[in-house]
Amino acid sequence: MPAYKFYYFPIRGLGEAPRQIFALAGVEFENIGISDEKWETFQKTETPFGQMPLLEVDGKQIPQSFAICRYIASQHGLAGKTPFEAAWVDALADQYKDFNNDFKKFFYVQLGFEDGDKEEYKKEHGIPARDKFFPLIVKQIKDNGSGLLVGSSATWVDILIAEAVSRIAENVPGFFESYPEIIAHQQKVHSIPQIKKWIEAR
Amino acid sequence: KTMPTYKLSYFPGRGLGEVSRQMLHLSGTPFEDNRITMDDWPKHKESTPFGQMPVLTVDGKQIPQSFAIARYLANQFGFAGKTPLESAWVDALADQYKDYTTEIRPFLMVAYGFGEGDKDKLRKEVAEPAINKLFTILEKKAKENGSNGHFVGSSLTWVDLLVSDHMGILETHVPNAFTAFPTVQDIRKKTTSLPKLKEWIDKRPVTPF
Repeated sequence: MPAYKFYYFPIRGLGEAPRQIFALAGVEFENIGISDEKWETFQKTETPFGQMPLLEVDGKQIPQSFAICRYIASQHGLAGKTPFEAAWVDALADQYKDFNNDFKKFFYVQLGFEDGDKEEYKKEHGIPARDKFFPLIVKQIKDNGSGLLVGSSATWVDILIAEAVSRIAENVPGFFESYPEIIAHQQKVHSIPQIKKWIEAR
Repeated sequence: KTMPTYKLSYFPGRGLGEVSRQMLHLSGTPFEDNRITMDDWPKHKESTPFGQMPVLTVDGKQIPQSFAIARYLANQFGFAGKTPLESAWVDALADQYKDYTTEIRPFLMVAYGFGEGDKDKLRKEVAEPAINKLFTILEKKAKENGSNGHFVGSSLTWVDLLVSDHMGILETHVPNAFTAFPTVQDIRKKTTSLPKLKEWIDKRPVTPF
């Protein structure tokens, strides 16, 4: 088994999905949190792109959160069972990324990272982004038929979206009131034993 | 087993569809290059999985999202790197490129004529920093990879195609954008002079982007 080291800030953010993929795969990894103080040096000396998360596999580095997710998932059967399924896992993940690029304009204000009127930003950016993206996810869950997004077992995009949903729901009360299927999906993913265990221990 | 039928549906430009058209052509695979104009698009929107293009249809089954399509075709035709680690690096560079397109979008929208704005101001304040950030990374990676005409490994990958085509569009709006990135320029030169790619570039519809 290769030696995995995973570097990120000691927060959930872009790091949580990769960590949960390791947990679901049952793969040991060194979960390294780089504090804000250490980041300046680490960024210059250790990172290929000046960014985290960063995965090291037997000393070889992989940057970019989705490349990391897909790499770990593919090695452990969590990236779809056929090329077509894998393409759909990728497509849903990229659609989520597009959603998040819009949504974070509101979310950063909601979380207090940026200035702005929360209600105004929610109306301008939060709700439209939600209502453009989540109906697609609801449809995918219904069409797929297993309660998960692609195929009959959990893939990395189930983890990605369930984590995003839980983080949003924790910070924006009632945000998914009219999306019960989304909450059901999030609960289903987070009750998978390995993921449940990871969440309880973090 | 017969070869699958491929249809790539996109707007008439290069944009997010071009890298996939190129891979289909380079692999010698017949495909329907289904170009849908902006005027016709509303008729077709509902028949796509996410209300967007490009969409790849393989034996009647649809795949949305440009990079999911590109990676699928790259894996089918051998343009995705030769090892899982190489594939991960192709993916990482492509996603870094995607982050860059988000950063540079305010400039490109004005440059392409889709919005009003001070093009010179946006070039200086938005485009140049975004270009420098991405291409510094690309130049570094190209050198670390051995300055062999590829960003990753020793054969063509879809990120070579992605970056090379974009450079052709960008330089019409940002003159001398790549002066500081000679190794990347070499990759573009080597990629675009591949005979089979040159054949595609020469025969494809001419579009500004």
